[in-house]
Amino acid sequence: MRTYFQRRYLGIPYVLFMAFFVIAPVIVILYYAFTNGEGQFTIMNLVGFFTSGNTIGTLLYSMWIAFIVTALCLLIAYPAACVLTLSHIKRKNAILLLLITPMWINFTLRITALKEVLTLIEGNMALYPFINTVIGMTYDFLPFMILPLYNTISKIDADLPEVAKDLGATDRQVLSKIILPLSMPGIISGVTMVFLPAMTNYVILDMLYNSTYIMGSLIGSYFAAYDWHNGSMISIVLLIIIFVITLITDRFSADDEDRKGRNLL
Amino acid sequence: MNNIIELKGIGKSFDGSEYIVRDFNLTIKPGEFVTLLGPSGCGKTTTLRMIAGFETPTEGSIFLDGKDISRIPPYMRPVNTVFQRYALFSHLNVYDNIAFGLKLKKMPKRDITEKVRRVLEVVDMEGFEKRRISTLSGGQQQRIAIARAIVNEPEILLLDEPLGALDLKMRKEMQLELKSMHERLGITFIYVTHDQEEALTMSDKVVVMANGLIQQTGTPEEIYNEPNNAFVADFIGKSNIFNGEMTGYKEVSFCGASFEELDDIPLHTEVDVVVRPEDVILVPYDEGAIKGEVTAVTFKGIHYEITIESGKNEIVVQRTKSASVGDKVGIIIEPDGIHCMEREISVNCFDGVITRKNRVAFADGEFECECAEEGKNVKVYIRFNDIRMSDDEDAGGVCGNINSLIYKGDHYNYTIKTKNGYEYILNDEYLWNENDYVSLIIPKEAIRIELLQEEA
Repeated sequence: MRTYFQRRYLGIPYVLFMAFFVIAPVIVILYYAFTNGEGQFTIMNLVGFFTSGNTIGTLLYSMWIAFIVTALCLLIAYPAACVLTLSHIKRKNAILLLLITPMWINFTLRITALKEVLTLIEGNMALYPFINTVIGMTYDFLPFMILPLYNTISKIDADLPEVAKDLGATDRQVLSKIILPLSMPGIISGVTMVFLPAMTNYVILDMLYNSTYIMGSLIGSYFAAYDWHNGSMISIVLLIIIFVITLITDRFSADDEDRKGRNLL
Repeated sequence: MNNIIELKGIGKSFDGSEYIVRDFNLTIKPGEFVTLLGPSGCGKTTTLRMIAGFETPTEGSIFLDGKDISRIPPYMRPVNTVFQRYALFSHLNVYDNIAFGLKLKKMPKRDITEKVRRVLEVVDMEGFEKRRISTLSGGQQQRIAIARAIVNEPEILLLDEPLGALDLKMRKEMQLELKSMHERLGITFIYVTHDQEEALTMSDKVVVMANGLIQQTGTPEEIYNEPNNAFVADFIGKSNIFNGEMTGYKEVSFCGASFEELDDIPLHTEVDVVVRPEDVILVPYDEGAIKGEVTAVTFKGIHYEITIESGKNEIVVQRTKSASVGDKVGIIIEPDGIHCMEREISVNCFDGVITRKNRVAFADGEFECECAEEGKNVKVYIRFNDIRMSDDEDAGGVCGNINSLIYKGDHYNYTIKTKNGYEYILNDEYLWNENDYVSLIIPKEAIRIELLQEEA
């Protein structure tokens, strides 16, 4: 008797993984989001989300912070990625390594070090909650912006800037008409990778003794108070917001050729 | 007619010591089709990039219509380039690719549309405006790249091996199309290629380059029939190259026989003799000036290529009739089939200095010699046959890479380049590979030293 090995069997471990660690948790969250303390079905959590001024205010504030952090990361990372890929400077790899190395250092250590530095400069950190939030998050998320940008820009054919100049483009026009549009996939994937965590990652803020309250903090406080139902509902709403943003960016660059990578997020 | 472009004494070095292009002089008339031809690394692309403005000449000037343009940036030059790898903008469609240059010039949209339509007709791609670049084949992409360049109506179109990435059949087709496009448009074409056949087929004027120097400039016929030196003869088409000596008025001796020829060269001059394979005539054994034996026969489609060994010499013949291996044959060559070239250099000559008793240093190396005057500057002469090559780096007095080799019937002629760009020329019976790293052994008897007159 012969056994036929089919390639699709190779997918079994992944299907199991997804079932246990992605689908099951979502179902559990959904269950808690739409039940109350007595285990009965309710939509009061959802109604509560949109009627509570506190929740909506936090949502808008989180988006505002995430927007600032993302813009700042982009502002720092884009020129850096351009210099690393397009210029003729020496030791490019060493510089890239230096920009990426923070990712390899333990998160706790990194933020603690930042805290010490900020204390040294500001004295009492509690006086500057907003600026510390922005600094902490920008510092932490910068590598996630640089890497996709570096990858996309370094894949741009080195002949293209020359062709553009040959056809009459100045250096500035080469940047705006060639490099920028061709690095769009990298920008989108960098923005998604920074914007969404910046809305929710409150651990950085906690460690910086920061009073800033973002969506992550809100979920955290609900769960800390054993109110799993409202915490779950906020998570679900965030999930939907993330999904919608991804859809929009996807549509935004739908006629882009290189769709790989971006589909990862 | 005035020259449209003039390159005067152009030199280019990236590191300040080694020159990629040296002493490059060229004038081009409006509407000419000029090809820069040479092996890879000969400096032809660098020259083209200097005309386009991507590189600045280290020495010399480039004049366009009499104006010095050597230092103005590429976007201000009335010159457009077609790149080897097409380099189309993948985020734009065909129309936007072609319109790129026109839009930068702020041309009205209606004019742009009309121009793009017409140029697509020229490259035979009507109706492709809305197509995405990724849906085009290699040949179609190259047509778009050409269209994108010529739509700007440049005075000069530069083409950097534009057909290099296409398959053979496509390449032949595009050669003819480019040639007819050139005739229709009347734009000056400067074309870079390493394919000698392409150069001969398409050009009005061919510039053969090697090691950054122009070897010969001329029409395709001149280059083929009257090569300036052994390199050109070897590079263009197939040829037999022998060492010969002038033994009388218009009489040259090589391969152990004397032949009449047409060039007037002084008696006893050592020459390179070039004989094209199609000019070698096979006759019965007894009637031949050179006698030999057939060692190989290869069928090449329209002719046979027959290799004949005579003594230590190898002679290649092309003819339509076959022969059998082992046949004893005679060879004669008509005077117009023999081309003699005076050797540019027949001996290596370097400036050197005696470092200590019986040691002389020159051209990156140091050798034993027979000379006692310590500290003196000298001229050093070494004949080609006196240098031997070795794989062992410590065996000789200097090391270098084999830069070029030319087969000369019974031996190879090598040029060795040392790390600082000194060139040693030598003859060797055996075949070594290009770029091999070798050390050079020179016996002390072979080093001829001449003391320089000390200035008072």
